[in-house]
Amino acid sequence: MVENQDEIIKETETNFEEDLDEDNYDEDDGEIYINEETELGQETVVVSHPPDERIVPPLNFCPVERYLYRSGQPSPVNFPFLLNLDLKNIIWLANEEPQESLLEFCDFHNISLQFAAINPDAGEDDNPWDGLTEHSIINALQTIVDRKSYPLLICCGMGRHRTGTVVGCLRRLMGWNLASVSEEYRRFTGSRGGRILVELLIEAFDTKLVKIDPETAPLWLLTALQ
Amino acid sequence: MKPKYIPPLNFSPVVSTDVSLYRSGYPMPLNYSYIRNQLHLKTIIYVGDKEELSSEYSEFLKDNAILFHHVYMDSSRDVSLKPKMDKVLRLVLDTDNYPILIHSNKGKHRVGVVVGIIRKILQGWSIAGIYQEYGVFSGGLKGEVDLEYITMFETNLSIPKTKLPGFAKINLLDNTQSDGSSTDDNQTTIISSNLRERLVV
Repeated sequence: MVENQDEIIKETETNFEEDLDEDNYDEDDGEIYINEETELGQETVVVSHPPDERIVPPLNFCPVERYLYRSGQPSPVNFPFLLNLDLKNIIWLANEEPQESLLEFCDFHNISLQFAAINPDAGEDDNPWDGLTEHSIINALQTIVDRKSYPLLICCGMGRHRTGTVVGCLRRLMGWNLASVSEEYRRFTGSRGGRILVELLIEAFDTKLVKIDPETAPLWLLTALQ
Repeated sequence: MKPKYIPPLNFSPVVSTDVSLYRSGYPMPLNYSYIRNQLHLKTIIYVGDKEELSSEYSEFLKDNAILFHHVYMDSSRDVSLKPKMDKVLRLVLDTDNYPILIHSNKGKHRVGVVVGIIRKILQGWSIAGIYQEYGVFSGGLKGEVDLEYITMFETNLSIPKTKLPGFAKINLLDNTQSDGSSTDDNQTTIISSNLRERLVV
């Protein structure tokens, strides 16, 4: 039984190499015959245990829609995880810059980092617990309704309230009823629960302020707007 | 704009890349229009203990030609849980079945265990990340037995390679490679650029 498994693994492996590197055909005759044989049978992969090296999602990570994700601030331990998402853009919802390591990571991997300052006028007096202004919500949503931004991650310090505000406004834009929007927001707010101010902000948000171009909007958004 | 959609309780995407995998609580008639118009499901997997479907639900499934799989699950204490979990994994590891919704009754514990196992075995998530996600959807309830089950779960399935969804490919094919003697550093990069080519937002 064990031998059998090894056989399967081996076959899958050689076959996979062939997929990757067809130029090797001439150099390595021996392998080609094996590959042709497995081509006829069923190529399988064994699913048994997790890989030795695990990937660590950022705090409060969750998919929102196709190629759209939400989370708290990613730290270096999350970088391998982020690489799997193949991100093109990150929206950072805060006045202060994220950690230096995240800036370097984005720079190195060609990910553009968009600051959606929560209250640009407040300067030094600003509080991190202040809500988002209408202006910054619209700013973030304009990026979200453009499919050129994808794959896209929306994040803030903990991935709770600011991220929750933007996702909540997006859900309203998509025609979700308010109770469902709140249910989703509260899910990510941890043991201290949701803030009524955030829910009021989401409820009061005028969705008509977001300009949606059908030519560039993600398909799931267009389906929702139909 | 007048709100028109009511997603099921505890609804969320689990994977939303080349394939769509969703999780939720038990869909009610008021959720049907959202599921019909937004998700275009091919398969629903119910992990739970309710044997009978309501007439509304079976009609909804029939009208929308959704394949329904009831995988009877009681709790993670159930000693015969493994073959059931394997059945769910086989369904999830076949691109022909997508889009898929997995639901239980409240979308907390049973779905939480299934998603946790997908995260661990198919995607290689850390245990801490899995626990955190479980907590988000269970409303902070710890569910130690469930988490223990996820942590200990191992299986041995042989899955046709051609039907593997992209999200599982990254991890499973890497895994195969690392078990062997040769290593190819380009492998991950190549898979990921293939994914990028197929990207349809």
